[in-house]
Amino acid sequence: MTKELLAGRERGATILELRGITKRFPGVVANDQIDFEMRAGEIHAILGENGAGKTTLMKILYGIMQPDEGDIYVRGQRVKFHSPLNAIELGIGMVHQNRKLVNAHTVTENIILGHPNAGRVLNLRRAEQEIDELCRRYGFKIDLRAAVWQLSEGEKQVVEILKALYRGAKILILDEPTSALAPPETKKLLSSVEAMADDELAIIPFITHKLPIVLSTSHRVTVLRGGRVIARFDTSSATEQSLAREMVGREVLFRVERPAVETGKPVLQVDNLSALSSRGFMAVKNVTFTVREGEIFGIAGVSGNGQHELAEVLAGLRKPEAGKVTLDGAEITDAPPLARWQAGLGYIPSERNAVGSIGEFSLVENVAMNYYFDDKYARNGLVDYANIRKLTEEMIVDYDVATPNADVKAKNLSGGNLQKVILARVLTRGPRLVIANLPTQGLDVGATEFVQNKLIEAKKNKAAVLLISEDLDEILAISDWIAPMYEGEFMGILPADEANRERVGALMAGLKSEREAQ
Amino acid sequence: MWEFIARSLEASTIFTLAALGELLGQRSGILNVGIEGIMLFGATFGFIAAQNSDSYAVGFLVAIAIGALLGSLHGFFSITLGVDQVVSGMGIWILGFGLTTFIGNPYTGPLGMDRIPTVFGVSPFFILSVILVAVMWFVLSKTSLGLRIRSVGENPSVAEVSGINVARTRYMCVVVGGMLMGFAGAVYSLDYNPVWNYNFLMGWGFIALALVFFSLWNPWILLGGSLLFGFLWQLSLNPQLFLPGVFSRYIWRTVPFVITLLVLMVMSTKWFRAKWGSAKPEALGEPYVKG
Repeated sequence: MTKELLAGRERGATILELRGITKRFPGVVANDQIDFEMRAGEIHAILGENGAGKTTLMKILYGIMQPDEGDIYVRGQRVKFHSPLNAIELGIGMVHQNRKLVNAHTVTENIILGHPNAGRVLNLRRAEQEIDELCRRYGFKIDLRAAVWQLSEGEKQVVEILKALYRGAKILILDEPTSALAPPETKKLLSSVEAMADDELAIIPFITHKLPIVLSTSHRVTVLRGGRVIARFDTSSATEQSLAREMVGREVLFRVERPAVETGKPVLQVDNLSALSSRGFMAVKNVTFTVREGEIFGIAGVSGNGQHELAEVLAGLRKPEAGKVTLDGAEITDAPPLARWQAGLGYIPSERNAVGSIGEFSLVENVAMNYYFDDKYARNGLVDYANIRKLTEEMIVDYDVATPNADVKAKNLSGGNLQKVILARVLTRGPRLVIANLPTQGLDVGATEFVQNKLIEAKKNKAAVLLISEDLDEILAISDWIAPMYEGEFMGILPADEANRERVGALMAGLKSEREAQ
Repeated sequence: MWEFIARSLEASTIFTLAALGELLGQRSGILNVGIEGIMLFGATFGFIAAQNSDSYAVGFLVAIAIGALLGSLHGFFSITLGVDQVVSGMGIWILGFGLTTFIGNPYTGPLGMDRIPTVFGVSPFFILSVILVAVMWFVLSKTSLGLRIRSVGENPSVAEVSGINVARTRYMCVVVGGMLMGFAGAVYSLDYNPVWNYNFLMGWGFIALALVFFSLWNPWILLGGSLLFGFLWQLSLNPQLFLPGVFSRYIWRTVPFVITLLVLMVMSTKWFRAKWGSAKPEALGEPYVKG
């Protein structure tokens, strides 16, 4: 069913209503007089940047948090949620972005966990039949007897949706539903979502980026900014520009300039590289590529296809099984990480809180982690903190980091500001090669733009940049070469002018041609 | 020879019961290294109660009750207060070692009651322990309660949003686990070797602890392992029976630990994890803080 038909269809009765929801935290009003209403069969997206109050609203809707003011009505009845259980009982289901599943258990076990009718002795066969029926109705495909740890991110999301449906959810909250999916998986999910809406379910996707998804699927969209409802549209009257403008509060250019820089000699050469994952399967298979001075090489792929392992091998954090890596002509295949940093490799890890920084350390100390081995900043085993503090303060100014001073603990910075510090720490060294693993993941539009521009600046300064991203639009926007990665292999290496969404999307889903993706 | 086998089965009965209690707690995410202490308590108080009342039933009931009490004490520290579970368990062990030595000292000597009759030549507790293994397996893998217990041990926050009371489930498991440990201690002091002496266990509890890791948290493998460990333990008491002159009993006693370490080594290989995943409950030993 097309969007126009859905939008024109008469919607059902009002099923959920929020009136004047307000939630305050010390120093900030996270939700300020939010009104919101849902009808059965409606897909009503909530759009907002990080810090706009989406998470708080979601937690209130699901009973994890209680509002300070305001009322919630379900099917016309005023209700109070003390815990998620109350919400579940009233037919509200939640699909978490950080999946709430037991990895060691099977799909069925996860779905029936906590179900009041599970019975004392589990009747797995009956449960499987019921779940199968749900899968058929909404077009999900999943092996019910597989353990969750064996599933892809997209499949885990399906398990969460099935769990909510199995519990009888009529209102489904989806937290960033497409952020971990490849384009073909996204397509499947959206058609299932539409089937659910046709079945009179009310669906509330919470979305930070991915405006095209909002436009193609939802009936209405509510935009939050600074904890308030800024705008509400019928989706048919909204455009990508108008949504972004309301969301950010200024015009947003959906274009990052991609200047052509004259490319120089090869910096990173990877030859037939293979590596195992921590679980012991071959995660990187015979990967060969070259990154030259002045170019951004983008690796596109859905999480778990070997990009992470590849980045770790190049950073010296994981041992390759086979192959050869050279940096500026010198072999570094088995070099320890420190030798690589000294040879001009800069690494921006994907997890900025867990790997990129030490939360309990100050910004100065975090910067020192990348300079302690330089004669300029440490001599005779003594770290020259005065000098590093000066450097950190310069970085704070140059990278526009919002922080009271350089002694703040890293854990107290927002994601965007912390990422700026990590970026500054790497780029200020003037690296020959920058490996940026998911550098903009979880950042809002403004910070994302900033990080992307800095990577482009690095390329202008004759660095070679290896960008790993799960956001296909980002890859397409700033890379000069694009390598879609699927199950550990490069499905091709395309120059930017030959790459487009459909082609790369199909390749990163493991399909050899676009036709298969349809 | 038959007598040796019967004794081995009795020894393995004690390992099975205590380890089953530990397994239950661990499947819910609570590590209890105080198992030896709880066994000492159960054995000593069961011994004193039985001797004073001249009733085995009273002795076993007292042992089970004190096990439940110590289980809930460990629960209080590790669930309610959220302290480090190893430290809490160690405390219970040291407390058991010290307090039972102090209290039991006047009772040093034989129990002085008729032996508990055997069934077809084996201890009735062996049969009971096999039944309990079957029950434990059934509850953990086939019932709703078992699914709740396992999910609490794997990922308590998931269990919580699925409407499961994590603290209550864990308490139930450590208390029932403590009962089994206390009971195991009493089986030692009232049936296997009805003589009280200070620190008579000397490592039985720690073998039971190792056994849980050996079992990959599966009750049936646990039963197999405890038969093996019971045999090895009995052998360590009389090594001259089979292998005269090879090592002293003290060296033989380390064999169960060596075997367990080998199993743990296999478990940590890439091959094992790729094939079976991590057998260990994911949240084992981690305090759960709500919210």
